[in-house]
Amino acid sequence: MSIENKCLRLSELPDDGSLAATAHAKYPGQHCSFRAVAGTVPLIKNSYALLFGPAICLYNAKLSMNMRSLTSDPRPNNLLFVNYSQDDIIFGFQEKVREAIHQADQEYHPEVLFLITSCLQEIVGEDFDACIDEIRPSVKAKLLTIHTENFTCEGATPGVENMFKSLFELMKEQPQEERTANILGMWTSTARKTELARLLGSKGIRIKNVIPSYCTPSELEAAPRAQLNIVLDQYGLPLARMMKERFGTDYVYSRKPYQPDSIEEWYQEVAAALNIDLSAEVADLKKKTEALQEKARAALSGMTCVVFGTSGRPFDLAHLLANIGVEPKAMLLQTILPEDWPDIKSLLNAGVDPIVFQGDNSLQNEELLEELSPDISIGAFERSSLARMGIRPVVLLTSNYLIGFESTLEVLRLLMERTPGIEALIYKEKILASGEC
Amino acid sequence: MDLKHNGFPVPSDYFGVLWALSGIKDLLILEHGSTGTCNYNAFNYMIMNRQSPKGKLFSSGMDEDDVVMGRDVKIKEAIVELDHKYYPKMIALVATGVTSVIGLDLQGIIEEIQPTINARMLPFPSGGFAGDYTIGIREVFGTLARDIAEDCTKKVRSNDAPSWTKPCTVNIIGPTIDSFNIISDLAELERMLGLMGIRVNTVFTCNTDVDAIKNMACASLNLVTRDIGLEAAAILKERFGTPYYYGLPFGVKGSIDWMKDIASILGISLDKGMVRAELEKYGFSILELVNFLQNIDHLRAAISCPFDYSSGLAEMMRDEWGVNPSLIVLPASPIGPQRLNREANFGLGKDVRLLIEPDSWTLQDAISSMNPHIVYGNSYDLQISRNVPIRIHAAFPAFDHIYRYDGTPFVGLRGHAYLTQTIVNLLNQNPEVFRN
Repeated sequence: MSIENKCLRLSELPDDGSLAATAHAKYPGQHCSFRAVAGTVPLIKNSYALLFGPAICLYNAKLSMNMRSLTSDPRPNNLLFVNYSQDDIIFGFQEKVREAIHQADQEYHPEVLFLITSCLQEIVGEDFDACIDEIRPSVKAKLLTIHTENFTCEGATPGVENMFKSLFELMKEQPQEERTANILGMWTSTARKTELARLLGSKGIRIKNVIPSYCTPSELEAAPRAQLNIVLDQYGLPLARMMKERFGTDYVYSRKPYQPDSIEEWYQEVAAALNIDLSAEVADLKKKTEALQEKARAALSGMTCVVFGTSGRPFDLAHLLANIGVEPKAMLLQTILPEDWPDIKSLLNAGVDPIVFQGDNSLQNEELLEELSPDISIGAFERSSLARMGIRPVVLLTSNYLIGFESTLEVLRLLMERTPGIEALIYKEKILASGEC
Repeated sequence: MDLKHNGFPVPSDYFGVLWALSGIKDLLILEHGSTGTCNYNAFNYMIMNRQSPKGKLFSSGMDEDDVVMGRDVKIKEAIVELDHKYYPKMIALVATGVTSVIGLDLQGIIEEIQPTINARMLPFPSGGFAGDYTIGIREVFGTLARDIAEDCTKKVRSNDAPSWTKPCTVNIIGPTIDSFNIISDLAELERMLGLMGIRVNTVFTCNTDVDAIKNMACASLNLVTRDIGLEAAAILKERFGTPYYYGLPFGVKGSIDWMKDIASILGISLDKGMVRAELEKYGFSILELVNFLQNIDHLRAAISCPFDYSSGLAEMMRDEWGVNPSLIVLPASPIGPQRLNREANFGLGKDVRLLIEPDSWTLQDAISSMNPHIVYGNSYDLQISRNVPIRIHAAFPAFDHIYRYDGTPFVGLRGHAYLTQTIVNLLNQNPEVFRN
């Protein structure tokens, strides 16, 4: 039996946006704060991070970074590992923690030393923060603690928010500098080359920091100098709120929009907050995007898809897909945020009502795909399984590093392009499945 | 304290348990922990030849209430779901660090739920605190050999034959999904056994299933290819009287000796024509591949591999290439009756350095001070050996190396041929090594 009967239509979503579990035995399940934070802190320049945990977490953290080092988006190798043993649990971690911090400080000379805890630390209940406060005066590096207990939540959000909030500790009161902005929640070394940065630059707006992407501690210290924080994801929002409260830094918040109208609206909000006029530039870009949208509609209209996780506003992406005639039949979602509701209503008003579900068990997700039999799978899903079912995989990864119209242009390009090698894979999987050539 | 900046945190027994169980087809693994742990594992399987634990590994999705209250409802629901949906023959309950710390009684859960479940359930409660991954693999091997393997001599065939024990049938004990180069090496071992008319009953625990493990005692000999399999072989010997032979064939001499020893134990004779044909095809010496101006006896080599690979490679290099490795690095002390003996295992002279479980800095210093021409090792060893001209992946973990094709063995006669050809090609690509 498939999970279709355990899923909701978008129109049936309860007001709190909660999605029922679709399986008791989960695979792979949501990834944890520890992993997300371990993958993020290397983005802060002149820093090292001490990861405190059992070998289970540490080994996986190291491998994740090694795998990442083989991609177009490698992260600096700044992770250091402190393995907790059974004895540490019984007799206490504090001495080991103290020794590791002093050693990291003396051998690696970081400006900032992140201290990242795992579930184990939190369960044992030793007062980690008090221990760090005691060590702090004897260490040159600034110590920033990030708690990442995963068993208290179902996702990585609290840990990543803690990571952002830890950066607040570096910030100091500054005189505000007009015509400057920070970008919060962009995770790439190319953030300063994005359409957003270019458009703002053309109006004399300087990007001070892209947090957390490749800022130095001293740049973070000066972050409150910016006139505006442009917040691009929910993880950076608590930091923006803290900066508003302490330093009076205004912010505009919107996760990445996809539809040309949504992008235009977002740019208008940013422009208004910075008191600049982007209307001519935005109109040009919008026209270009709408032209490609028409091309995509001609090429893809009548197709169906399933969406497996995206960056930004998922229902705005679904609406973009519907606009080009690609019907989203199902969407895998982990959490629905309050700010998703306007997009949900807009999508439903357009007559699009996909299945929404938590992907608790990958095997079940595969069964659902088999039943729905979409033409396209958007997001990360095992390619051989998709090929066996004759479903075309589209991975939007390269669009994740972009923002604004350029991101949507990339999404449309990826949708129209065949993934290299997919024909051969489909050919093989078809023969394997049918036994005939 | 080794903060593992250039090395890697050694995987714990928890990983060994997962890896040793993952090669058993109709067994599912349910770990009791947060989903983050399970999700993370997709990465560590990926570095082992792009494998995936999908359909094999599941998480109970433990949450704060489970931790605080010691609640076991979720894991029981997950067990029932797996049993009813996928009909596995076995479900292994594996503890994570959190389960281990809160002291949840997995055995108690099994005793309570087993009567309502079709699959046989096995607990693995260490949760990553018993030691390194080899301990986890040994724990699984021991459990399966002790509790799952059945006495075939007591079984009766449908045609009333007295016993199931099959002559000229062996089990291969040792390979698990984490074993480096396992696909090619196993293919070569099975090929060589096939040349001798010997059939492989099962590989413990790669591409095997619960029935094959139950029927391990049907084999007439157990071949142990990795020291961590010795305990299981001893258990099987004690329980069923199955003899075992321990060794991994490297080089021409090592391979012929391996075949002769196995033939002798099984009371079969080696076909001389077969041996001659094999040697003609795969037995080419390094001297047949280099020319008179290419001297290799000055080459300095370092080997950083688990015991069985290190000792086999060292012997082959010394005896067949005339290259005596100057540095041997073992990630762990060898296990079993053949305790570490520098002379016997490696033919090491006093000028040769042997490091066991070195920290990252010691290893880095050792490699930079000896300045080798050749390094065999894992991905991290090769990373810290960036200036070494010839770097060959030969150990786990190999996150930047794929070994899925079955035609690149290190062991056996084809392994000898492949390694010898490879080293000569690499020497030719780095001709400066002939000069200094």
